[in-house]
Order: sequence, then structure tokens, then C-alpha cells
Amino acid sequence: MNNGFGRNTRFIEILLSALLIALVGGALGLAVHGPRLWQVLQGKTALLAVPAAPTPQIPTAEPVPQVPVAAEPAPVDLGELPALVAAGAVLVDARHGEDYRRGHLPGALSLPVGASEAELALFRQQYPTETTLITYCNGYDCPDSFNLALRLVAAGYHDVRVFEGGVPQWRDAGNPLEGEQP
Amino acid sequence: MSPLRDLLFHLCRLVIGAVFLYAGALKAGDVNAFAGSVAAYQLLPYNANLLVAAILPYIEIICGVLLVFNARVKPAALVLLLLNLVFIGALSWAIYRGLAIDCGCFNQDPNRTPTSPQAALLRDLALMVGILFAYGLAPAERPNRY
Repeated sequence: MNNGFGRNTRFIEILLSALLIALVGGALGLAVHGPRLWQVLQGKTALLAVPAAPTPQIPTAEPVPQVPVAAEPAPVDLGELPALVAAGAVLVDARHGEDYRRGHLPGALSLPVGASEAELALFRQQYPTETTLITYCNGYDCPDSFNLALRLVAAGYHDVRVFEGGVPQWRDAGNPLEGEQP
Repeated sequence: MSPLRDLLFHLCRLVIGAVFLYAGALKAGDVNAFAGSVAAYQLLPYNANLLVAAILPYIEIICGVLLVFNARVKPAALVLLLLNLVFIGALSWAIYRGLAIDCGCFNQDPNRTPTSPQAALLRDLALMVGILFAYGLAPAERPNRY
């Protein structure tokens, strides 16, 4: 009787079963999300699923005004950014100032989602409402870019878009960041 | 198997199974948010983050179901063991780099109370103990042929 050989065989059986479980799980995931994932790989969309409505913001020192949704800001893909910026679009960083200072997309301005009405008014003085604005923040689990876009639409901007991939997608693509710790 | 060992085994497999079934279902319920959580670790390129977000929750769900129903316990526990090692590695990397990320492992609600990488690492180490017990105490499903 060779118990060592039996144990090795038994472990190999367990390993193969484990591999099968992982493959079945992966196949199930691809069956559910495969078509959408394929569209992402082709660059037709940036998200695995249609996002839910934006969640209410955490209260800040100055309450963010309730804005009626006049027009829903449109998402933009990473590949569209260079052409839009070259045509005069302005990148707007919706994160806290500290995050902006650490690293932001080149040429982006800082306008945190919880900015005061005075700051927003100052922004409007510098950039007319005809300016195309592209908001971004920390990616898909961050609603700040979308909520800032709604504020900008309510403030009168005609063309506001949202780069939902945000800083993570920008950096993952190998693009540089500007700031103190890019 | 002694009654105490039997009890410990069933307790571990039920708890670990339920935990990963719950965690997998949460992630599968909001894959965009989970993709964002994966991307926050800055380990993988963009498309790989989405691929992981698309398949990992279902692997957890299947392993959770197998453990809860006491089927293929050793293989399922082995898969979770390897996954947990990857999670521990990723969290250690995030701590080393000083990334201020919220784990997002068990709650995809953007208004959630954040879980620090350190707390998530301790939690995963505790889960690892449960997984090892479930694996080690699981009886052989077939008699040894040799």
C-alpha cells in the first residue's frame, strides 16, 4: 500500500475539482456579463451595466441645492477625451481639493461637488455657459462627477459630460497625472 | 469523526459558506461599483478590472453554495483559500503603498461606512482561519483507494 501516492492522487482530484468550480463560476459570470464586456472591449461603452440613479450626497457644511434634472449629462469614453479637450472642452475635477492637489488629469480644474454657490458663481464668471465641461472623479463607484454635472447643468451650462472612468481609468491607460504626487 | 470535530467542521463550513455567498451576491448586484473597488487597488489594467468584477462574484457564490450544502467542500474551500490569499496580497499591497481605499468587499453602497485596508486585512485573515478549518476537517468524499 502506498499512502503517499494515494494522498497525492487525492489532492490532485481536489485540485481538479477546484479548477472546475472556478471555471464554472467564471463561465456563469461571462454568461451574465459577457455581451456587455465585449462591448466594453470594443470601446462602445465604459460600463458593465446601466448605472442606477445617483445616490443622495453626504451632507456638507453648505447643503448642496436640490437641482431639477433639465438634461442628463452624457458619459464620455477615455478615447473621446483628447478630441474634446482639443476642441475646447474643460476638464473639471469633482473630488476634494486635497485629492486634486495630489494628482489630477492634465489641465483639469478643481471644482469639488460640494463647492459653495459663491465658488460656482466664480467658476461661471471664468467659463461661459457655452463651454463644454467634462467632470470626473474616482471612477465608477464615485457619484460626485455625475452630481457635479447636474449642478453645472442647473447653473446653465449647455454641454456637460461625465468621464465616468475617472482617475483610475486615466491612470490605468498609462496616462500621466499632474500634481504633487502624480 | 468525533462529535466536537464534527460540530467545528459544520460551523466553519456554514459560516464561511454564508459569508462568501453574501459577499458574492452583493458584488454581483452592482458590478460597476465592484469594478471601481478593484480599480482602486491599482493592480490591473482597466479591462482586467472589469473582467475580475464580472466573474469573481459568481465564483464566490458557487463556492458559498457548495459549502452551505456540504458538497465538494474541500475543492470549494481550496478555491476560497486561493481567492483569500489574493485578497490578502492585494490589501497588503494597498497598505504598503498607502492607498486610502475602502475595501468595498461586503458593501457596495457609496454611502457606507468605509472599511480601511487594515481592518479588511484582519477580517480576511480571520476568514482564512475558518477556511483552513473547513478544508482540514472536511471528511474525504470517497474512501482512499490505496
